[in-house]
Amino acid sequence: MSPQDPVIRLENVYTAYEGADLPTLAGISLTVNRGEYVVIGGPNGAGKTTLLETINGMLPVTHGNATICGYDIRNDGIHVRCRVGYLIQNFAFDPLTPFTVEEAVLMGRFGILGLFRKPGAEDHNAVKAAMELLKIGDLAKKPIGQLSGGQQQKVLLAQNLARNPDVLLLDEPFSNLDFMARDAINGLLSDLVARGVTVLIVSHAFDDLPDCRIRVVVMQDGRINLDTTCRPEEVASTVRNAGGSPANA
Amino acid sequence: MLEFIIPNTVLCHAVEAMLFASVACAILGVIITQIQISSIGFTMAHAAFAGAAVGMFFSVNSTLSAVIAGIIVAFLIGPMSDRARISPDTALGLLFGISMAVAIFFIAYMQTLGMGFSAMGLLFGDVISLYSHEIWMLAGISLVAVLFVIVMYKEITGIIFNRRIAESIGIRVKPVYYATLFIIAFTVALSLPLIGGLLIYVWLVTPAAIALQFCSRLSAMFVVAPVVAAIVSISGAVAGLEYSFPVAPLTAVFFSVVFLVSVALSPKRRISFRKS
Repeated sequence: MSPQDPVIRLENVYTAYEGADLPTLAGISLTVNRGEYVVIGGPNGAGKTTLLETINGMLPVTHGNATICGYDIRNDGIHVRCRVGYLIQNFAFDPLTPFTVEEAVLMGRFGILGLFRKPGAEDHNAVKAAMELLKIGDLAKKPIGQLSGGQQQKVLLAQNLARNPDVLLLDEPFSNLDFMARDAINGLLSDLVARGVTVLIVSHAFDDLPDCRIRVVVMQDGRINLDTTCRPEEVASTVRNAGGSPANA
Repeated sequence: MLEFIIPNTVLCHAVEAMLFASVACAILGVIITQIQISSIGFTMAHAAFAGAAVGMFFSVNSTLSAVIAGIIVAFLIGPMSDRARISPDTALGLLFGISMAVAIFFIAYMQTLGMGFSAMGLLFGDVISLYSHEIWMLAGISLVAVLFVIVMYKEITGIIFNRRIAESIGIRVKPVYYATLFIIAFTVALSLPLIGGLLIYVWLVTPAAIALQFCSRLSAMFVVAPVVAAIVSISGAVAGLEYSFPVAPLTAVFFSVVFLVSVALSPKRRISFRKS
């Protein structure tokens, strides 16, 4: 795969949850290049999270072709997940969860390591770098369950960054964050995009987006309603006008 | 194996069997309680129990029939429930009900045929009637459980952290999860003649629950749980044989007492009144 090739290529993709009569995604075609910042909007149930889980290979593609980072999602799901970071929506850990922050971030490297290999110096350095990026180095030895929701969110983001992903999928990453943390994460995402990481973000918070051209994809009923590019300050109105009002989403 | 330490053969066999069964059950118990699949352990215990009852009735090796029943249930809980669109809860409810019905039917029928004594062994275990090959098999499954955790430690920690996140970061969740179920099935089936179908759940859950009172890290739980289980089980075997008490029920009582004491002493329930 050359640097000019798209990192995400979906061609007429259908996805269905087990037991569902109708597909959740119906005929999605989407091409995303390296270093793009894509905001995915749309009302509840539009298929935004499903789109992220399809790109990450966690949901089966029932029709169409999906190539992520050069891998066919149907045959190489594990390889795709090693290159694609995915921050899950609304997550909270029990106070008794028996893992420290450092251990949780290290887990981000387990997929790359594969079976039977133990984490080495390179893995621990990547963990340290990811924690420093998110300024959670001082929490390294704390149990993850004893952190606030926002701190846990940062730990999970660090877990994804620890494997230096080519693509970062973020599902409501700002939901538990205060304004300062939100600004810091936005700055971090801008840096990642500048370094060539592709960011796809499902969010209803359109303030303080990075100062670059933003690609906006608006979904409705499992289909893409609008796919356009605009300035950061135009994202909220673009999403609203396309039927995915941030207020009711 | 331990005759050089314990010359009394009966006591030696009882201690060996209790040691190996408790180590295997406690290690797997940490996984069971942390993934929160205690109901799976419970269902497998009863399935193995039903298998043993059927085997005993038809004069087939009851350990073998317990292993077969445990594996069938592991297969039904894992791959089959994933494919059959049945929620794990429903699958477990169905399997538990069927297992209990089969076990109770055959045990009750054996009582009417005058085979009651052997059936009681299935319910509460019988530590002194084990053959040496059964003890060797327990030693084997104990070793398998230890090696499984050592070799698959990072995958197991990922699954315990969260199955969905583990899958999203590229961990091969399903093979490791299914392997866990099959090892649980073997352990439960092989421990059944020793501990009994009604009590094996104590061995699977209580040591891990005791370890959780003192350990905040998973790695520590994998050490503390089997050590506590081994000490309590050996104490139960020695006390039971010395004072002619039924060994497995006595050990289960010991486990419960240790659990209550550990809850009372747990640092996790301490409230700090420090100001800085």
